Amino acid sequence: MRAMVIDDSRAMRMILKRIVTKLSFEATEAGDGREALDLLGTMSEVPELALVDWNMPNMNGLEFVTKVRADPRLREMTLVMVTTESEQSQIVRALAAGAHEYVIKPFTEGAMIEKLALLGLVPTGANS
Amino acid sequence: MSVDVVVNEEDLAEVAGEVWVSYLDPDGVSPLVPTGDEKQPSEVHASVSISGPWTGHVVYASSTEAARKAAAAFLAMDSSEVSSEDLCDVLGELANIVGGNVKAMLPPGCLLSLPQVVLAPESATKYPNAERISGLYGVWDGEPVSISMWQSRDDKNEESA
Repeated sequence: MRAMVIDDSRAMRMILKRIVTKLSFEATEAGDGREALDLLGTMSEVPELALVDWNMPNMNGLEFVTKVRADPRLREMTLVMVTTESEQSQIVRALAAGAHEYVIKPFTEGAMIEKLALLGLVPTGANS
Repeated sequence: MSVDVVVNEEDLAEVAGEVWVSYLDPDGVSPLVPTGDEKQPSEVHASVSISGPWTGHVVYASSTEAARKAAAAFLAMDSSEVSSEDLCDVLGELANIVGGNVKAMLPPGCLLSLPQVVLAPESATKYPNAERISGLYGVWDGEPVSISMWQSRDDKNEESA
């Protein structure tokens, strides 16, 4: 399986890539929503999962989620917002726009794996 | 528009505790230990601005060594390999995470800016028309680290009007 990590922080991308790689995903990364869409446009196979930050320059995570959901080629991707935006209204906005799950920073590796397991994206035994 | 906001040292310590457990000290062997020393030195700092019903800044400041250790922990590398770019990236993300969690304690409707990082002491940067309303001051492995909250004076003046 393939995953895309979208965050303007290289450090956060590394942490997220470490986690999904541990779960046997092949990971790619992008520094903002625009870069992610450009990269997706070049891919022959769309990743099954994207972990998306909210506050990013150029194109934020909410805009990215909205654009992915409007694109027939991309709309099957599982989208998980990974962000410091923890207001209830923000969470509702993200889910309404099409995000499947919402993880608030800071998160532990275990908490992230649990969320991905809820989405059926953790191979059996991978989180033990 | 203005609101009465109380985010105290304990609240900031709770946020810091979560950051340490998640990224900087997952094994729980080297927590941030509060000292209450508001005059402790800093060499680098990062901040995010919050606007809306509450207006101000949240500042993460530390020694260069503490920032280097934080970057090494985030990036899973030796601290001797950490570059200035790494320092900026990790300090910015720390300010973003701390600021985002502080924002969650504020009235709904506040907006969080992207982080700003300065590889110079917090005292080298002024926050015009803002005053410090709370702060967590501590040491991490002997190195100074602080998180402070600065409220716009305009906001405060409206509060008291």
